[in-house]
Amino acid sequence: MTKQVDPISLQVIGGALHSIAEQMGNVLYRMSYSSIIRESQDLGAGLFDRDYNTLCESDSTPMHIGSLPGYLRGIEKTVPLDAWKPGDCVIHNHPYYGASHSPDIGIIMPVFFEGELVGFSANTAHHVDIGAATPGLVIDIPDVFAEGMLLNGLKLFNEGVRNEALWKYIRDNTRVPSLVMGDLEAQLASAELGVQRFIQLMQTYGKDTVLQATKQLMDYTEAMLRREIAKIPDGDYVAEGFLDDDGRNRGVTLPLKVTVRVRGDGVEVDTTGSSPQVPTAFNVPFDGSTKVACFFAFRALLLDTYTHAEYIPQNEGSFRPVKVTSPLGSIFNPISPAAAEARFSQIQRLVDLIIKALAPVLPDKCTAGNAAVLSFAAYSGIRPSGDYWVFLEVNEAAMGGRPFSDGPDTVEELMRNTRNNPLEDLGMHLPLICDRYEVRDDVPPGAGKFRGGAGVVKSQRYLTPGFMTHESDRNEDAPWGIFGGKPGHGSKVELRNDAAGTVSYQPAKFSGLRTNVGDVITYYSPVGGGYGDPLEREPRKVLDDVLDGFITVDHARDDYGVVLGEVDDGYGWALDDKATQTLRAEMAR
Amino acid sequence: MIRVGVDVGGTFTDIVIERSGEGVDRQVVVTKVASTPHDQSEGVVEGILKVCGLAGIEPGDIDAVFHGTTVATNMVIERDGAEVGMITTRGFRDVLHMARHKRPHNFSLQFDLPWQSKPLVRRRNRLPVTERIMPPTGEIAVPLDEDEVKQAAELFAKRGVDAVIIAFLFSFLNNAHERRAKEIVRSILPGAFVSCSSDVVNTIREYERFSSTAMNAYIGPKVSAYLRSLEGRLRANGIDALVRIMQSNGGISTIENSCEFPIGLLLSGPAGGVIGGRWTGQNCGKGNVITIDIGGTSADISVIENGQLRIKNSRDTEVAALPVLVPMIDIDAIGAGGGSVAYLDPGGAFRVGPRSAGAVPGPACYGKGGDEPTVTDAQVVLGRMDPEHFLGGDLTIDGSLSEKAIREHIAEPLKLSVDEAALGILKIINNSMALAINANSVAKGIDPRNFTLMGFGGAGPLHSVSLAEAIFAKDVISPVHPGITAATGLLVTDLQYEYTHSTLLVLDKATDAEFKKANDALDELIARANLQLDADGISRTNRRFQQIAECRYVGQGFELRADMPEGHLGTRSAATIIDNFYNAHKQVYGHAFRDQSCEMITLRVVATVEVDTLKLPKLGKGGRTNPDEAVLYRRRTVFDDGQALETPRYRRDMLLADDRLAGPALIIQHNSTTIVPPGYVATVMDYGDILIRRT
Repeated sequence: MTKQVDPISLQVIGGALHSIAEQMGNVLYRMSYSSIIRESQDLGAGLFDRDYNTLCESDSTPMHIGSLPGYLRGIEKTVPLDAWKPGDCVIHNHPYYGASHSPDIGIIMPVFFEGELVGFSANTAHHVDIGAATPGLVIDIPDVFAEGMLLNGLKLFNEGVRNEALWKYIRDNTRVPSLVMGDLEAQLASAELGVQRFIQLMQTYGKDTVLQATKQLMDYTEAMLRREIAKIPDGDYVAEGFLDDDGRNRGVTLPLKVTVRVRGDGVEVDTTGSSPQVPTAFNVPFDGSTKVACFFAFRALLLDTYTHAEYIPQNEGSFRPVKVTSPLGSIFNPISPAAAEARFSQIQRLVDLIIKALAPVLPDKCTAGNAAVLSFAAYSGIRPSGDYWVFLEVNEAAMGGRPFSDGPDTVEELMRNTRNNPLEDLGMHLPLICDRYEVRDDVPPGAGKFRGGAGVVKSQRYLTPGFMTHESDRNEDAPWGIFGGKPGHGSKVELRNDAAGTVSYQPAKFSGLRTNVGDVITYYSPVGGGYGDPLEREPRKVLDDVLDGFITVDHARDDYGVVLGEVDDGYGWALDDKATQTLRAEMAR
Repeated sequence: MIRVGVDVGGTFTDIVIERSGEGVDRQVVVTKVASTPHDQSEGVVEGILKVCGLAGIEPGDIDAVFHGTTVATNMVIERDGAEVGMITTRGFRDVLHMARHKRPHNFSLQFDLPWQSKPLVRRRNRLPVTERIMPPTGEIAVPLDEDEVKQAAELFAKRGVDAVIIAFLFSFLNNAHERRAKEIVRSILPGAFVSCSSDVVNTIREYERFSSTAMNAYIGPKVSAYLRSLEGRLRANGIDALVRIMQSNGGISTIENSCEFPIGLLLSGPAGGVIGGRWTGQNCGKGNVITIDIGGTSADISVIENGQLRIKNSRDTEVAALPVLVPMIDIDAIGAGGGSVAYLDPGGAFRVGPRSAGAVPGPACYGKGGDEPTVTDAQVVLGRMDPEHFLGGDLTIDGSLSEKAIREHIAEPLKLSVDEAALGILKIINNSMALAINANSVAKGIDPRNFTLMGFGGAGPLHSVSLAEAIFAKDVISPVHPGITAATGLLVTDLQYEYTHSTLLVLDKATDAEFKKANDALDELIARANLQLDADGISRTNRRFQQIAECRYVGQGFELRADMPEGHLGTRSAATIIDNFYNAHKQVYGHAFRDQSCEMITLRVVATVEVDTLKLPKLGKGGRTNPDEAVLYRRRTVFDDGQALETPRYRRDMLLADDRLAGPALIIQHNSTTIVPPGYVATVMDYGDILIRRT
């Protein structure tokens, strides 16, 4: 039995682990080629012990944080612990063996210290194209085999020697080898760095001390989360919603139901009552995605890094208090060979429903309805040279109003946190041009004491013929208001061609659309719901929103009871305090 | 020649004056006065008059004043800038509102987005106009609607905005629309601060360019007013000297240039310290130096390699969470300093910082009501800072309050002795600093084993040896005046201007026509530099130009700097750039590729002019070992290994060149104490800097 590591060394080793994970993430996204990794940072990186516990993880995209242990457990089916050799490297993306979804390719290297396997250095990154049925993304496909290359625990390096046949296989089976192979190189550099740093850490402090410290750090994180869960009254908390459709059977909505069972300092999330699995790619891998979403929800709600002063290490400890139950054969736990690539919108909703379920008992920590969606657009085409171009774009949305502040506008919410692509960089390199990228102002944000966030509108125009797949949801079920706040709005997707004089509205998700020169796809994101009674909103803030064009004068009067009068000061409007008081008194009755 | 350096910090304004020249006794005098945050120029002038008094110099005889200021930075942090209007491309009104759409916290629902809650330009003042420039050539797809520009300008006039920016998409390809719009706005708002994005930073990536332009305008009117008021106050006191301002890139600039591009001043404060560190290194024959400037609440870390400052990748240059696309020294600030508070969090973890006790209430030993222990209290308890020499005896402190705070808050709950708890505080804070140094060195391909660690700021030399051990640095230097290293840095830097233009070019496939286009851009950048230097009255022979190509592999998104040979671009110089880029990529990432095409994204020209450099008088030769005559007294001091030893205190002003002090020893001077632990020996260098090495 190793003795307890003293509190001083514990801080020192904890800081070092955090720093290693950050550096692994940095190398990966800076060196990478595809915009989805380098700009959007759709990646995760960290160190793991030989029991597959997360010791530390980079603070990149939440969706990846907590997914890697699933990869490691899945790989064990092919590569048992005693089959690892120094200098090995495994590549893995199989969604029924722990992967988050198939485009998120994991690179895993073992860490040996004094001849003994002590853990792993690993990362995942979203690859632009793995040779699926349609370029970049898929929706309406029959099964997991149509998702593209399935790499199930394959050794990319054997004791330091690269498996050239596998390397060539990957190169030959993606539409954009120049991006994918470069991104894999970046993943290798990042994992190598983790191996070196982990070994150095053990050389400095001793293996037993480091491993004991990691155990204590996990216990610490677990204890911090349990402390917060224990403050929530025991009970079953339920919330429901629905998804637009599965991407094939239009008009058939899919129910969502989440039950949160709080018992003492532990919690269970049960998705029973949600839709059965669907016949398209719109399912969610259980280990790599459903569970990760639930872990995220409790960390963000209860250990919010903005309101908590202390840094709490990101490790396995934050997963332990949260149990996740999804019936086999349901949308959150599909049975192979169901496809499960397009899973992000559902897990966003899962998180949002957890927030909604707990809002009555966590009024100071929750939000009103968030957009809780993903607009993931795959634009592609074939250049005159015969090479493919594929560009994956994440469109942001908005958050719901909050207990002490408005919902942020035009932002990456919940499980995602990517960066947008500079329009100028895209314009220089792709046959696609952006015609509009602004705050959505055709509908107002959900009214409330703290209003919902305004959404985004983005228009991309094809300069050459191409293809498009759009993975999204939530044209139908608008984000809710809470504690008297008004709901926000759902999304819409417009396809127009000015030369041809055509306009049509698309479902939120569609795949393999063939596009023509001059086709403009415009995405209007959902808009967040309001928090609290709009009549309690400070009139000054309502005026600001009118002057800034987020809402109209009519909306200020009708929903907020704020009356404005015209003035000639260059801005146009001023508060009419007296009329506002009168109107608000009337409306309150 | 009489020159003055003035560095304004949060609490103190440091001043150094130098008299030099033939037939004159070389003289260097330093002093400090309290800063005057409401108008920094008051403290600046008061300090100059004070130092003149001490040195016996007439203020009117000063030739040049070099100034490092935090005015610009404070204005951004406190959001106390101008009301700015923006004219932008129709369809793209909200580029500043969306930023990069990434939130600053992953695990948070209640986070703040400063670019939305405290915008540099409010949405109501962002007015779109009709115009369109198309990539990749810069052709005009939709001509500028001049009437709309005029209407926008008139609206701004009516609203009384202080500054107007014009920021159009793809203006780095063709800035004709921005230029024309600027003329129109100028004609309607002759008194306003008007600039366009291609003037401020002519590079690709709209959010970063627009935001940098907005920040320049946001701080422009007030920074100009400050610099003019400083100039006026100096003149009113009979000081008719040249005034030069420290910039973020480590060069100095004129008042005129600083008024036009105040965005270059955002690191004006900390830059002086790094330059001072480089100069101290040179005086000691050390080209590889890691500097750490430790203050009360934060520590600034930078790396100097082969005597060269490291410039931050422009993708990482931010101030107050907003991008600033101007060259900055790579300085990493962390929340760790003498005032960092030690505490146990609700989960029982032992924490030190980033929360700071600040100047008020300050560390427990100040007796100003702060009862939580700080890093300073740990130093006092361990006998590393003597109460009677605290700030040169200017401040009275009570060591028993330090002990009480550590005992009650840390030692008793953790069942440690007070010494153990105090050592723990230092170990944790030193570890935070060491990790930050590693992130700035090891993580960027720098091996600290070949570097000297230099701690300055009053508290720097208390931590230097411990930090050097933690990062495996080669040795340690304690500069002659640790507390005013930043002010001396002002007197040892060059005049420097930088100009950039995004000129995308795949280097290994470029045609003659493409090279010509890039060379035209290069010529224009050099012409702009020459125009500025002409205005400064710098003779042609003193001008030096450095050309840099910022490159990436085709498809990547982050550029790295590659040096470019002198003269025009062509196939041969392109090959050299590709080699230089390969080496940079290898150093930064550990990997690089020969089979990938290299794309130049941005051209950069750096124009420098050497100015006189501060020279300190050499110390007399001592050559003594542990000179008794310099010993003040001996007292108990606890070192990192837990040993408590009777340790001599030496007066630094009694030490001479080549004197050697064997550890354990403390070297005391006004406002700073240098620790020499057992097993180390300190050697006094020619100019009074102290080199500390393992025995």
